[in-house]
Amino acid sequence: MPENTPYMVAAYIVAAAILVTYAVLLYRRTLKP
Amino acid sequence: MADVWRHAWLLARKDLLVEFRSRTAILSALVFTVLVLMVFNFGRDPTAVAAVDLAPSILWVTFTFAAMLALNRAFQLELENQALDGLLLAPVSRSSIYLGKLMANLVFVATVEAVGLPLFALFFNVPILHVLGPLLGVIALATVGFVAVGTLFSAMTARTRFAELLLPVLLLPFMIPPLIWAVLATGALLAGRPLSEAAGWLRLLAAFDIVFVTLAFVLFPATVNE
Amino acid sequence: MRLLKTGRWITGVGLALLAAVYVRALAFTPVERFQGPAQKIFYIHVPAAWSAMLAMGLVGIAGILFLLLKDPRFDRFGEASAEVGTAFSMVMLTTGPIWAKPIWGTWWTWDARLTLTLFLFLLFLGYLLLRGAVTDPGLRARYSAVLGICGLVLLPFIHLSVYFFRTLHPQPIVLKPSAPSLPGPMLVTLLFSFLVFTVLYVGFVTQRYALSLLREQAEPHA
Repeated sequence: MPENTPYMVAAYIVAAAILVTYAVLLYRRTLKP
Repeated sequence: MADVWRHAWLLARKDLLVEFRSRTAILSALVFTVLVLMVFNFGRDPTAVAAVDLAPSILWVTFTFAAMLALNRAFQLELENQALDGLLLAPVSRSSIYLGKLMANLVFVATVEAVGLPLFALFFNVPILHVLGPLLGVIALATVGFVAVGTLFSAMTARTRFAELLLPVLLLPFMIPPLIWAVLATGALLAGRPLSEAAGWLRLLAAFDIVFVTLAFVLFPATVNE
Repeated sequence: MRLLKTGRWITGVGLALLAAVYVRALAFTPVERFQGPAQKIFYIHVPAAWSAMLAMGLVGIAGILFLLLKDPRFDRFGEASAEVGTAFSMVMLTTGPIWAKPIWGTWWTWDARLTLTLFLFLLFLGYLLLRGAVTDPGLRARYSAVLGICGLVLLPFIHLSVYFFRTLHPQPIVLKPSAPSLPGPMLVTLLFSFLVFTVLYVGFVTQRYALSLLREQAEPHA
Protein backbone atom coordinates (compact mmCIF):
# COMPACT_ATOMS: atom_id res chain seq x y z
CA MET A 1 0.00 0.00 0.00
CA PRO A 2 1.46 3.39 -0.94
CA GLU A 3 2.49 5.61 1.91
CA ASN A 4 0.84 8.93 1.11
CA THR A 5 -0.69 9.99 4.40
CA PRO A 6 0.81 13.52 4.28
CA TYR A 7 -1.32 14.26 1.20
CA MET A 8 -4.45 13.10 2.93
CA VAL A 9 -3.68 15.26 5.95
CA ALA A 10 -2.87 18.27 3.80
CA ALA A 11 -6.10 17.99 1.83
CA TYR A 12 -8.25 17.58 4.93
CA ILE A 13 -6.60 20.56 6.58
CA VAL A 14 -6.89 22.80 3.52
CA ALA A 15 -10.55 21.91 2.98
CA ALA A 16 -11.41 22.57 6.61
CA ALA A 17 -9.46 25.82 6.53
CA ILE A 18 -11.38 27.10 3.53
CA LEU A 19 -14.78 26.15 4.90
CA VAL A 20 -14.14 27.44 8.40
CA THR A 21 -12.62 30.67 7.06
CA TYR A 22 -15.66 31.25 4.89
CA ALA A 23 -17.97 30.54 7.82
CA VAL A 24 -16.07 33.02 9.99
CA LEU A 25 -16.08 35.62 7.21
CA LEU A 26 -19.83 35.29 6.82
CA TYR A 27 -20.33 35.59 10.55
CA ARG A 28 -18.26 38.74 10.78
CA ARG A 29 -19.78 40.35 7.71
CA THR A 30 -23.25 39.85 9.09
CA LEU A 31 -22.34 41.41 12.42
CA LYS A 32 -21.96 44.80 10.81
CA PRO A 33 -23.08 44.87 7.15
CA MET B 1 -41.20 37.78 -38.57
CA ALA B 2 -39.86 39.04 -41.87
CA ASP B 3 -39.71 42.50 -40.28
CA VAL B 4 -37.31 41.24 -37.64
CA TRP B 5 -34.87 40.12 -40.30
CA ARG B 6 -35.34 43.21 -42.40
CA HIS B 7 -34.68 45.50 -39.46
CA ALA B 8 -31.77 43.38 -38.39
CA TRP B 9 -30.22 43.64 -41.83
CA LEU B 10 -30.74 47.42 -41.87
CA LEU B 11 -29.07 47.73 -38.48
CA ALA B 12 -26.20 45.53 -39.58
CA ARG B 13 -25.76 47.59 -42.72
CA LYS B 14 -25.65 50.79 -40.68
CA ASP B 15 -22.97 49.35 -38.39
CA LEU B 16 -20.91 48.01 -41.24
CA LEU B 17 -21.13 51.26 -43.18
CA VAL B 18 -19.83 53.16 -40.17
CA GLU B 19 -17.07 50.63 -39.56
CA PHE B 20 -15.85 50.37 -43.09
CA ARG B 21 -16.15 54.05 -43.83
CA SER B 22 -13.74 55.00 -41.09
CA ARG B 23 -11.76 51.79 -41.59
CA THR B 24 -9.75 52.31 -38.39
CA ALA B 25 -11.30 49.42 -36.56
CA ILE B 26 -11.00 46.88 -39.35
CA LEU B 27 -7.45 47.88 -40.20
CA SER B 28 -6.40 47.72 -36.57
CA ALA B 29 -7.94 44.27 -36.28
CA LEU B 30 -6.12 43.09 -39.41
CA VAL B 31 -2.79 44.44 -38.24
CA PHE B 32 -3.37 42.86 -34.85
CA THR B 33 -3.97 39.48 -36.48
CA VAL B 34 -0.73 39.71 -38.44
CA LEU B 35 1.16 40.63 -35.30
CA VAL B 36 -0.36 37.75 -33.32
CA LEU B 37 0.76 35.34 -36.03
CA MET B 38 4.23 36.82 -35.77
CA VAL B 39 4.20 36.43 -32.01
CA PHE B 40 3.37 32.77 -32.47
CA ASN B 41 6.21 32.34 -34.83
CA PHE B 42 8.78 33.90 -32.57
CA GLY B 43 7.19 32.50 -29.47
CA ARG B 44 8.17 28.97 -30.28
CA ASP B 45 11.52 27.26 -30.51
CA PRO B 46 11.80 26.35 -34.22
CA THR B 47 14.22 23.55 -33.55
CA ALA B 48 11.97 21.85 -31.05
CA VAL B 49 8.53 21.94 -32.55
CA ALA B 50 7.41 21.51 -36.13
CA ALA B 51 4.97 24.19 -37.26
CA VAL B 52 2.59 21.62 -38.64
CA ASP B 53 2.01 20.13 -35.18
CA LEU B 54 1.10 23.46 -33.71
CA ALA B 55 -0.78 24.73 -36.75
CA PRO B 56 -4.36 24.18 -35.56
CA SER B 57 -3.59 25.78 -32.19
CA ILE B 58 -1.91 28.79 -33.78
CA LEU B 59 -4.80 29.36 -36.13
CA TRP B 60 -7.44 29.10 -33.47
CA VAL B 61 -5.78 31.10 -30.75
CA THR B 62 -5.24 33.84 -33.33
CA PHE B 63 -8.88 33.74 -34.38
CA THR B 64 -10.03 33.68 -30.75
CA PHE B 65 -8.12 36.84 -29.93
CA ALA B 66 -9.19 38.52 -33.17
CA ALA B 67 -12.83 37.77 -32.40
CA MET B 68 -12.40 39.11 -28.88
CA LEU B 69 -10.94 42.32 -30.23
CA ALA B 70 -13.79 42.71 -32.69
CA LEU B 71 -16.40 42.09 -30.01
CA ASN B 72 -14.90 44.61 -27.64
CA ARG B 73 -15.88 47.39 -29.97
CA ALA B 74 -19.28 45.91 -30.81
CA PHE B 75 -21.27 48.27 -28.67
CA GLN B 76 -18.74 51.06 -28.41
CA LEU B 77 -20.35 52.79 -31.36
CA GLU B 78 -23.61 53.17 -29.50
CA LEU B 79 -21.97 54.24 -26.29
CA GLU B 80 -20.25 57.15 -27.87
CA ASN B 81 -23.20 59.31 -28.73
CA GLN B 82 -25.81 57.79 -26.49
CA ALA B 83 -26.91 56.21 -29.70
CA LEU B 84 -28.14 53.16 -27.84
CA ASP B 85 -31.09 55.12 -26.50
CA GLY B 86 -31.92 56.21 -29.99
CA LEU B 87 -31.76 52.65 -31.13
CA LEU B 88 -34.05 51.50 -28.34
CA LEU B 89 -36.61 54.18 -29.16
CA ALA B 90 -36.74 53.17 -32.77
CA PRO B 91 -39.65 50.93 -33.81
CA VAL B 92 -37.54 47.83 -34.05
CA SER B 93 -37.76 44.87 -31.73
CA ARG B 94 -34.92 44.11 -29.35
CA SER B 95 -34.41 40.85 -31.18
CA SER B 96 -33.69 42.75 -34.37
CA ILE B 97 -31.02 44.68 -32.55
CA TYR B 98 -29.39 41.45 -31.45
CA LEU B 99 -29.56 39.88 -34.90
CA GLY B 100 -28.32 43.06 -36.52
CA LYS B 101 -25.37 43.27 -34.16
CA LEU B 102 -24.69 39.58 -34.61
CA MET B 103 -24.61 39.89 -38.38
CA ALA B 104 -22.43 42.99 -38.32
CA ASN B 105 -20.00 41.34 -35.92
CA LEU B 106 -19.92 38.19 -38.04
CA VAL B 107 -19.04 40.18 -41.15
CA PHE B 108 -16.35 42.03 -39.25
CA VAL B 109 -14.76 38.90 -37.80
CA ALA B 110 -15.12 37.04 -41.11
CA THR B 111 -13.22 39.82 -42.85
CA VAL B 112 -10.40 39.50 -40.35
CA GLU B 113 -10.38 35.71 -40.73
CA ALA B 114 -10.42 35.98 -44.52
CA VAL B 115 -7.11 37.78 -44.32
CA GLY B 116 -5.78 35.81 -41.38
CA LEU B 117 -6.25 32.37 -42.90
CA PRO B 118 -4.11 32.84 -46.03
CA LEU B 119 -1.46 34.62 -43.98
CA PHE B 120 -1.41 31.74 -41.54
CA ALA B 121 -0.98 29.28 -44.41
CA LEU B 122 1.81 31.42 -45.77
CA PHE B 123 3.73 32.09 -42.57
CA PHE B 124 3.65 28.55 -41.31
CA ASN B 125 3.81 26.75 -44.61
CA VAL B 126 0.55 24.92 -44.07
CA PRO B 127 -1.18 23.56 -47.15
CA ILE B 128 -4.88 24.23 -46.79
CA LEU B 129 -6.28 24.34 -50.31
CA HIS B 130 -6.99 20.62 -50.46
CA VAL B 131 -9.31 20.87 -47.45
CA LEU B 132 -10.45 24.45 -47.95
CA GLY B 133 -14.16 23.66 -48.13
CA PRO B 134 -14.46 21.74 -44.88
CA LEU B 135 -11.99 24.09 -43.22
CA LEU B 136 -14.12 27.08 -44.08
CA GLY B 137 -17.06 25.16 -42.62
CA VAL B 138 -15.23 24.69 -39.34
CA ILE B 139 -14.22 28.34 -39.26
CA ALA B 140 -17.75 29.50 -40.01
CA LEU B 141 -19.34 27.35 -37.32
CA ALA B 142 -16.81 28.22 -34.64
CA THR B 143 -17.01 31.91 -35.47
CA VAL B 144 -20.79 31.90 -35.14
CA GLY B 145 -20.37 30.34 -31.70
CA PHE B 146 -17.83 32.94 -30.60
CA VAL B 147 -19.82 35.87 -31.92
CA ALA B 148 -23.26 34.70 -30.75
CA VAL B 149 -22.20 34.69 -27.11
CA GLY B 150 -19.81 37.59 -27.56
CA THR B 151 -22.48 39.91 -28.94
CA LEU B 152 -24.70 39.20 -25.94
CA PHE B 153 -21.92 39.69 -23.42
CA SER B 154 -20.52 42.82 -25.04
CA ALA B 155 -23.96 44.39 -24.67
CA MET B 156 -23.60 43.86 -20.94
CA THR B 157 -19.97 44.83 -20.49
CA ALA B 158 -20.10 47.88 -22.75
CA ARG B 159 -21.44 50.04 -19.97
CA THR B 160 -19.13 48.79 -17.24
CA ARG B 161 -15.93 50.42 -16.18
CA PHE B 162 -13.33 47.87 -17.20
CA ALA B 163 -15.11 46.62 -20.28
CA GLU B 164 -11.96 45.61 -22.19
CA LEU B 165 -10.90 43.42 -19.31
CA LEU B 166 -14.27 42.17 -18.21
CA LEU B 167 -15.43 40.97 -21.62
CA PRO B 168 -12.57 38.48 -22.09
CA VAL B 169 -12.96 37.26 -18.52
CA LEU B 170 -16.63 36.52 -19.07
CA LEU B 171 -16.40 35.35 -22.65
CA LEU B 172 -13.34 33.10 -22.78
CA PRO B 173 -14.89 30.21 -20.82
CA PHE B 174 -17.63 30.20 -23.45
CA MET B 175 -15.15 30.25 -26.32
CA ILE B 176 -13.19 27.28 -25.07
CA PRO B 177 -15.55 24.44 -26.05
CA PRO B 178 -15.93 25.68 -29.67
CA LEU B 179 -12.20 26.29 -29.66
CA ILE B 180 -11.55 22.68 -28.64
CA TRP B 181 -13.81 21.24 -31.35
CA ALA B 182 -12.40 23.64 -33.95
CA VAL B 183 -8.83 22.66 -33.10
CA LEU B 184 -9.67 18.97 -33.21
CA ALA B 185 -11.48 19.34 -36.53
CA THR B 186 -8.73 21.49 -38.06
CA GLY B 187 -6.12 19.04 -36.88
CA ALA B 188 -8.00 16.15 -38.43
CA LEU B 189 -8.42 17.99 -41.73
CA LEU B 190 -4.83 19.15 -42.00
CA ALA B 191 -3.54 15.70 -41.15
CA GLY B 192 -5.50 14.32 -44.06
CA ARG B 193 -7.79 12.20 -41.96
CA PRO B 194 -11.17 11.21 -43.41
CA LEU B 195 -13.91 13.82 -43.37
CA SER B 196 -16.13 11.61 -41.24
CA GLU B 197 -13.80 12.23 -38.33
CA ALA B 198 -14.08 15.98 -38.57
CA ALA B 199 -17.82 15.62 -39.01
CA GLY B 200 -18.23 14.68 -35.35
CA TRP B 201 -16.67 17.95 -34.22
CA LEU B 202 -18.68 19.88 -36.78
CA ARG B 203 -21.88 18.43 -35.37
CA LEU B 204 -20.93 19.55 -31.88
CA LEU B 205 -20.07 23.00 -33.18
CA ALA B 206 -23.42 23.19 -34.92
CA ALA B 207 -25.25 22.09 -31.77
CA PHE B 208 -23.41 24.73 -29.75
CA ASP B 209 -24.30 27.36 -32.31
CA ILE B 210 -27.97 26.49 -32.42
CA VAL B 211 -28.26 26.44 -28.65
CA PHE B 212 -26.38 29.65 -27.98
CA VAL B 213 -27.72 31.74 -30.84
CA THR B 214 -31.21 30.86 -29.64
CA LEU B 215 -30.34 31.50 -26.01
CA ALA B 216 -28.65 34.83 -26.75
CA PHE B 217 -31.57 35.84 -28.97
CA VAL B 218 -33.98 35.11 -26.11
CA LEU B 219 -31.86 36.75 -23.40
CA PHE B 220 -30.71 39.86 -25.28
CA PRO B 221 -33.85 41.92 -24.54
CA ALA B 222 -33.14 41.50 -20.82
CA THR B 223 -29.86 43.31 -21.28
CA VAL B 224 -31.32 46.42 -22.86
CA ASN B 225 -34.77 46.71 -21.38
CA GLU B 226 -35.31 49.46 -18.91
CA MET C 1 -32.99 38.95 12.10
CA ARG C 2 -34.49 35.51 12.02
CA LEU C 3 -33.17 34.39 8.67
CA LEU C 4 -29.66 35.19 9.77
CA LYS C 5 -30.02 33.29 13.00
CA THR C 6 -31.39 30.28 11.12
CA GLY C 7 -28.49 30.48 8.71
CA ARG C 8 -25.93 30.64 11.48
CA TRP C 9 -27.52 27.76 13.28
CA ILE C 10 -27.55 25.57 10.17
CA THR C 11 -23.94 26.46 9.43
CA GLY C 12 -22.99 25.62 12.99
CA VAL C 13 -24.65 22.25 12.72
CA GLY C 14 -22.98 21.73 9.37
CA LEU C 15 -19.54 22.44 10.75
CA ALA C 16 -20.13 20.12 13.68
CA LEU C 17 -21.23 17.41 11.28
CA LEU C 18 -18.18 18.15 9.15
CA ALA C 19 -16.02 17.36 12.15
CA ALA C 20 -17.95 14.12 12.52
CA VAL C 21 -17.32 13.24 8.88
CA TYR C 22 -13.65 13.95 9.38
CA VAL C 23 -13.46 11.62 12.33
CA ARG C 24 -15.40 8.91 10.55
CA ALA C 25 -13.42 9.19 7.32
CA LEU C 26 -10.03 9.35 8.95
CA ALA C 27 -10.43 6.91 11.81
CA PHE C 28 -13.36 4.65 11.09
CA THR C 29 -13.28 4.06 7.36
CA PRO C 30 -11.01 1.39 5.91
CA VAL C 31 -7.99 2.44 3.89
CA GLU C 32 -8.25 1.64 0.21
CA ARG C 33 -5.73 -1.00 -0.76
CA PHE C 34 -4.34 0.38 -4.04
CA GLN C 35 -4.46 4.11 -3.46
CA GLY C 36 -3.61 4.18 0.20
CA PRO C 37 -4.65 6.88 2.65
CA ALA C 38 -4.76 9.58 -0.01
CA GLN C 39 -7.89 7.97 -1.39
CA LYS C 40 -9.73 9.40 1.60
CA ILE C 41 -9.48 12.84 0.07
CA PHE C 42 -12.27 11.52 -2.12
CA TYR C 43 -14.70 11.88 0.82
CA ILE C 44 -14.11 15.61 0.85
CA HIS C 45 -13.44 16.35 -2.80
CA VAL C 46 -16.48 14.66 -4.33
CA PRO C 47 -19.12 16.15 -2.00
CA ALA C 48 -17.52 19.57 -2.45
CA ALA C 49 -17.89 19.06 -6.19
CA TRP C 50 -21.53 18.21 -5.65
CA SER C 51 -22.07 21.40 -3.66
CA ALA C 52 -20.33 23.50 -6.28
CA MET C 53 -22.40 21.99 -9.08
CA LEU C 54 -25.56 22.45 -7.03
CA ALA C 55 -24.61 26.07 -6.46
CA MET C 56 -24.07 26.63 -10.18
CA GLY C 57 -27.31 24.93 -11.11
CA LEU C 58 -29.26 27.04 -8.65
CA VAL C 59 -27.61 30.25 -9.85
CA GLY C 60 -28.85 29.43 -13.34
CA ILE C 61 -32.33 28.48 -12.22
CA ALA C 62 -32.55 31.59 -10.04
CA GLY C 63 -31.60 33.58 -13.13
CA ILE C 64 -34.40 32.07 -15.18
CA LEU C 65 -36.92 32.65 -12.40
CA PHE C 66 -35.76 36.21 -11.93
CA LEU C 67 -36.17 37.07 -15.61
CA LEU C 68 -39.59 35.43 -15.71
CA LEU C 69 -41.01 36.69 -12.41
CA LYS C 70 -38.93 39.81 -11.81
CA ASP C 71 -38.74 38.97 -8.10
CA PRO C 72 -35.57 40.43 -6.54
CA ARG C 73 -35.42 37.55 -4.09
CA PHE C 74 -34.18 35.34 -6.90
CA ASP C 75 -31.41 37.79 -7.66
CA ARG C 76 -30.36 37.83 -4.02
CA PHE C 77 -30.36 34.06 -4.01
CA GLY C 78 -28.27 33.89 -7.17
CA GLU C 79 -25.70 36.21 -5.67
CA ALA C 80 -25.54 34.13 -2.50
CA SER C 81 -25.30 30.83 -4.34
CA ALA C 82 -22.51 32.13 -6.57
CA GLU C 83 -20.39 33.25 -3.67
CA VAL C 84 -20.92 30.00 -1.78
CA GLY C 85 -20.20 28.08 -4.98
CA THR C 86 -16.90 29.91 -5.26
CA ALA C 87 -15.94 28.71 -1.78
CA PHE C 88 -16.77 25.09 -2.59
CA SER C 89 -14.94 25.40 -5.92
CA MET C 90 -11.86 26.47 -4.01
CA VAL C 91 -12.15 23.35 -1.91
CA MET C 92 -12.37 21.32 -5.12
CA LEU C 93 -9.46 23.11 -6.73
CA THR C 94 -7.19 22.53 -3.76
CA THR C 95 -8.15 19.00 -2.78
CA GLY C 96 -8.18 17.87 -6.41
CA PRO C 97 -4.48 18.48 -7.13
CA ILE C 98 -3.51 17.28 -3.64
CA TRP C 99 -5.25 14.04 -4.51
CA ALA C 100 -3.88 13.92 -8.05
CA LYS C 101 -0.23 14.18 -7.02
CA PRO C 102 0.07 10.90 -5.13
CA ILE C 103 -2.47 9.06 -7.28
CA TRP C 104 -1.60 10.25 -10.79
CA GLY C 105 1.93 11.45 -10.15
CA THR C 106 1.23 15.03 -11.22
CA TRP C 107 -0.32 18.04 -9.49
CA TRP C 108 -2.42 18.98 -12.47
CA THR C 109 -3.87 17.23 -15.45
CA TRP C 110 -6.43 18.38 -17.95
CA ASP C 111 -8.74 15.50 -17.27
CA ALA C 112 -12.45 16.12 -17.51
CA ARG C 113 -13.10 16.44 -13.79
CA LEU C 114 -10.29 18.79 -12.80
CA THR C 115 -10.88 20.91 -15.88
CA LEU C 116 -14.57 21.22 -15.11
CA THR C 117 -13.56 22.28 -11.61
CA LEU C 118 -11.49 25.08 -13.04
CA PHE C 119 -14.27 26.13 -15.39
CA LEU C 120 -16.80 26.25 -12.56
CA PHE C 121 -14.48 28.40 -10.49
CA LEU C 122 -13.92 30.81 -13.37
CA LEU C 123 -17.63 30.99 -14.15
CA PHE C 124 -18.41 31.84 -10.52
CA LEU C 125 -15.67 34.47 -10.49
CA GLY C 126 -16.94 35.95 -13.74
CA TYR C 127 -20.42 36.17 -12.26
CA LEU C 128 -19.15 37.94 -9.14
CA LEU C 129 -16.91 40.25 -11.17
CA LEU C 130 -19.80 41.24 -13.40
CA ARG C 131 -21.89 42.04 -10.34
CA GLY C 132 -19.08 44.12 -8.97
CA ALA C 133 -18.80 46.09 -12.19
CA VAL C 134 -22.45 47.12 -12.47
CA THR C 135 -23.73 49.69 -10.01
CA ASP C 136 -27.39 49.94 -10.89
CA PRO C 137 -29.18 47.17 -8.96
CA GLY C 138 -31.84 46.52 -11.58
CA LEU C 139 -29.31 46.24 -14.36
CA ARG C 140 -27.01 44.16 -12.19
CA ALA C 141 -29.78 41.70 -11.44
CA ARG C 142 -30.71 41.28 -15.11
CA TYR C 143 -27.10 40.93 -16.26
CA SER C 144 -26.36 38.40 -13.53
CA ALA C 145 -29.40 36.37 -14.50
CA VAL C 146 -28.30 36.33 -18.15
CA LEU C 147 -24.76 35.27 -17.27
CA GLY C 148 -25.97 32.66 -14.79
CA ILE C 149 -28.28 31.07 -17.33
CA CYS C 150 -25.55 31.02 -19.99
CA GLY C 151 -23.13 29.46 -17.52
CA LEU C 152 -25.55 26.68 -16.67
CA VAL C 153 -26.22 25.94 -20.35
CA LEU C 154 -22.48 25.87 -21.00
CA LEU C 155 -21.79 23.03 -18.55
CA PRO C 156 -22.81 20.10 -20.79
CA PHE C 157 -20.79 21.59 -23.65
CA ILE C 158 -17.75 21.84 -21.40
CA HIS C 159 -18.08 18.15 -20.70
CA LEU C 160 -18.56 17.34 -24.39
CA SER C 161 -15.44 19.23 -25.40
CA VAL C 162 -13.02 18.58 -22.58
CA TYR C 163 -13.80 14.88 -22.52
CA PHE C 164 -12.87 14.48 -26.20
CA PHE C 165 -9.84 16.71 -25.91
CA ARG C 166 -8.65 14.60 -23.06
CA THR C 167 -9.19 11.15 -24.50
CA LEU C 168 -7.27 12.11 -27.64
CA HIS C 169 -4.37 13.55 -25.67
CA PRO C 170 -3.77 10.98 -22.99
CA GLN C 171 -1.58 11.87 -20.08
CA PRO C 172 0.81 9.40 -18.51
CA ILE C 173 -0.94 7.86 -15.56
CA VAL C 174 0.88 6.34 -12.69
CA LEU C 175 -1.92 4.79 -10.76
CA LYS C 176 -5.27 4.76 -12.49
CA PRO C 177 -8.02 4.88 -9.91
CA SER C 178 -10.74 2.51 -10.96
CA ALA C 179 -14.33 3.66 -10.83
CA PRO C 180 -15.03 2.90 -7.24
CA SER C 181 -17.57 0.25 -6.48
CA LEU C 182 -17.52 1.23 -2.88
CA PRO C 183 -17.82 -1.34 -0.17
CA GLY C 184 -20.32 -0.64 2.59
CA PRO C 185 -18.47 1.48 5.15
CA MET C 186 -16.89 3.66 2.48
CA LEU C 187 -20.21 4.28 0.82
CA VAL C 188 -21.75 5.29 4.14
CA THR C 189 -18.94 7.77 4.76
CA LEU C 190 -19.37 9.24 1.31
CA LEU C 191 -23.13 9.60 1.63
CA PHE C 192 -22.76 11.12 5.07
CA SER C 193 -20.31 13.61 3.62
CA PHE C 194 -22.75 14.48 0.81
CA LEU C 195 -25.34 15.23 3.44
CA VAL C 196 -22.96 17.40 5.44
CA PHE C 197 -21.85 19.38 2.42
CA THR C 198 -25.45 19.98 1.47
CA VAL C 199 -26.19 21.23 4.98
CA LEU C 200 -23.17 23.53 4.74
CA TYR C 201 -24.39 24.82 1.38
CA VAL C 202 -27.81 25.64 2.84
CA GLY C 203 -26.32 27.29 5.91
CA PHE C 204 -23.86 29.40 3.94
CA VAL C 205 -26.42 30.49 1.33
CA THR C 206 -28.95 31.40 4.02
CA GLN C 207 -26.42 33.63 5.79
CA ARG C 208 -25.19 35.19 2.57
CA TYR C 209 -28.78 35.86 1.47
CA ALA C 210 -29.47 37.46 4.85
CA LEU C 211 -26.39 39.62 4.37
CA SER C 212 -27.75 40.95 1.05
CA LEU C 213 -31.05 41.68 2.72
CA LEU C 214 -29.37 43.49 5.60
CA ARG C 215 -27.34 45.59 3.19
CA GLU C 216 -30.40 46.56 1.22
CA GLN C 217 -32.27 47.51 4.36
CA ALA C 218 -29.38 49.67 5.50
CA GLU C 219 -29.38 51.56 2.21
CA PRO C 220 -32.90 51.75 0.85
CA HIS C 221 -33.11 52.57 -2.85
CA ALA C 222 -35.66 55.02 -4.20
